[in-house]
Amino acid sequence: MEFKLEAHRIVSISLGKIYNSRVQRGGIKLHKNLLVSLVLRSARQVYLSDPCPGLYLAGHPGAPAPPQQPEESAAGPPAGWGEPPPPAGRAAWPEPEPQPERPAVPEVLRAGDSEPAATVTAAGDTLQGGEAEAPEAAWRRVEGPRETAVGGAGVSGVFPEGPEAARGPCGCPPGDEDKLSAPPASPPVCARKRGAGWVGGGPADCPAPGSTPLKKPRRNSEEQPGGEEEEEEEMETGNVANLISIFGSSFSGLLRKSPGGGREEAEGEESGPEAAEPGQICCDKPVLRDINPWSTAIVAF
Amino acid sequence: MLLSLPALHLQTSEHHPLFQLPHGRLGPWCSPTGSPAPLSCETGCGEGTWILVCRLLVPTQVSLLSMEEDIDTRKINNSFLRDHSYATEADIISTVEFNHTGELLATGDKGGRVVIFQREQESKNQVHRRGEYNVYSTFQSHEPEFDYLKSLEIEEKINKIRWLPQQNAAYFLLSTNDKTVKLWKVSERDKRPEGYNLKDEEGRLRDPATITTLRVPVLRPMDLMVEATPRRVFANAHTYHINSISVNSDYETYMSADDLRINLWNFEITNQSFNIVDIKPANMEELTEVITAAEFHPHHCNTFVYSSSKGTIRLCDMRASALCDRHTKFFEEPEDPSNRSFFSEIISSISDVKFSHSGRCIMTRDYLTVKVWDLNMENRPVETYQVHDYLRSKLCSLYENDCIFDKFECVWNGSDSVIMTGSYNNFFRMFDRNTKRDVTLEASRENSKPRAILKPRKVCVGGKRRKDEISVDSLDFSKKILHTAWHPSENIIAVAATNNLYIFQDKVN
Repeated sequence: MEFKLEAHRIVSISLGKIYNSRVQRGGIKLHKNLLVSLVLRSARQVYLSDPCPGLYLAGHPGAPAPPQQPEESAAGPPAGWGEPPPPAGRAAWPEPEPQPERPAVPEVLRAGDSEPAATVTAAGDTLQGGEAEAPEAAWRRVEGPRETAVGGAGVSGVFPEGPEAARGPCGCPPGDEDKLSAPPASPPVCARKRGAGWVGGGPADCPAPGSTPLKKPRRNSEEQPGGEEEEEEEMETGNVANLISIFGSSFSGLLRKSPGGGREEAEGEESGPEAAEPGQICCDKPVLRDINPWSTAIVAF
Repeated sequence: MLLSLPALHLQTSEHHPLFQLPHGRLGPWCSPTGSPAPLSCETGCGEGTWILVCRLLVPTQVSLLSMEEDIDTRKINNSFLRDHSYATEADIISTVEFNHTGELLATGDKGGRVVIFQREQESKNQVHRRGEYNVYSTFQSHEPEFDYLKSLEIEEKINKIRWLPQQNAAYFLLSTNDKTVKLWKVSERDKRPEGYNLKDEEGRLRDPATITTLRVPVLRPMDLMVEATPRRVFANAHTYHINSISVNSDYETYMSADDLRINLWNFEITNQSFNIVDIKPANMEELTEVITAAEFHPHHCNTFVYSSSKGTIRLCDMRASALCDRHTKFFEEPEDPSNRSFFSEIISSISDVKFSHSGRCIMTRDYLTVKVWDLNMENRPVETYQVHDYLRSKLCSLYENDCIFDKFECVWNGSDSVIMTGSYNNFFRMFDRNTKRDVTLEASRENSKPRAILKPRKVCVGGKRRKDEISVDSLDFSKKILHTAWHPSENIIAVAATNNLYIFQDKVN
């Protein structure tokens, strides 16, 4: 358990460093970011592989789990890289529009799966994974004590599924994570806990450089539950928009090194990675390669 | 960038005078009476004691004005009593290098300035002043730039300075920031012409109608002036950040290394360079390691080494092919699985690599250790020295505060018997390879009286802390010694601590 927390903390810190490297003078330092991405990957591996009871679901009791990414299940264990995008993706996309997400997410997964897990590309997924992971992790972490109350099996799987359950069966991510969709009663509870979790979740702070005012309390109060009330409202109502803006602005911000990193760059995002100027070293960074399908999806949405 | 040309034809080193230290003969040690003490290379750091020669501050504009005057360096340091605990970022020293005779010491700082110190000449009147270094020249080497095409600011911080061996009255050095290497000529002027016909004494043109006589201008002595002029600018050859430069033993070429490529230059040609190493993968997503340091062999002009972020060193021979992507030798030590942690990869990244003066060994510095490798044994180092192993349990905190990314340098002494490297809390360590003894010293303002003797320090790792020991938790991680230099033939060392330059000398009583 301690390893998980430690790993989670390291993931948060690493993402923070990658984010901060955008605004460093002299451009992004390739060496340092490479090392940070290696740490990120190790931490994430530990995090995912740590068999902590109660935090992972063994089975799928009553979960409508459409096998949306069969290749994902097949490649699940080695990569592990694939799942994170789906939960976040599914959380991001509201129910009425499953279509855009399907092409977007499988793109990412295929891109992720095709890469050998050993390469630093894994770190690329890690970035998205980390961002999606950590809030979920935070949710789980916060929700830990509730396990006994609700009863073992269903709890942890609840939280990652929370947003999805709220929106109906977006589908659950296959793979070794085995997340479940939640019983309908739980979502409101989840939301509140998730709110606290959001605040505690470091990585959530990283990607959103003031792109919306909502982000600021989260970013500034990384470790303190200050903005909790605000957070849970946001989670319940503006969650979709938040997550879109998080991923949208974060990726575009990371791709372009301008401090603005705002929405207006979303359109330019596709050309960003292609430009792949050596000067824009972050474009070259493996962690950011797989962002492109995301940005495409976000822009399309 | 020319990639497909054959390797540059380099003259073999026999045609050039070798810079070779007389092995085992150090310069005279300085003793209070001024007479040379008996030589001994074995008293590297064990028996000798180290004393502070002088503490120098990178001169700011204030002292630049007073540079011409005959002011004692110590007075300069004492006169502008800034609060030294607050160092402006631009004053932080980023590189230190002695020239080949040890007469000059160059420092570069984050503000793009280069300051050259010159050793005080020995004089009978002031015997005790020998060994002090005073400011000789200061100039702005690099300015901050902005790459408009990539929207990138290019820092002016001087990453490395390397001296060329002296071939005439002037001194030449290479200085580099992240993108551009410059060759500077530092020369003295102590005469100036007087008696021009067409110009008056202030330099204004004279009215030709007033000129009635003709005279020949003569050179008259003047106050010594040291001027630095940029002779070559080697730009636009590096996409990534330059981390090393190294002058070849043929004195005609040098190399510059960035994260993914190494280029070979000729001093005379600034608009092209040869790419000799390129480890950039076709798909950047497959990037796993970067180049962290590179150096030419001190005697063989065809041989160089480069280190990587994975803790490996590759030795390459430029005669083998134009593009030296395939190494001749590959030095790697298998990882100790018991020490595995999240940060194993970071702490194995090599931050500095240096050939010994003899050319038979290389020394590498990673975050926690210094290793000496024999060029003939690739599978493991011959010696490993723990610099600050007590930090191994604190790697997570050091990761958080970014200290784990600090790039420490390491240096050999003139006879290759002692190696030195820096640590935190302004500590620096010396390891005597022969006696296997080591010492930890501190460059601090508390011991800043001239000729003060340095007391060995000790870090207490646990249990009871003795009186003079300092506990690991009290170490100041903001005070780090990344850059040090050792005089090529004498036991004089220069230690850069943030914005202070300390010069220590070994004194045999």
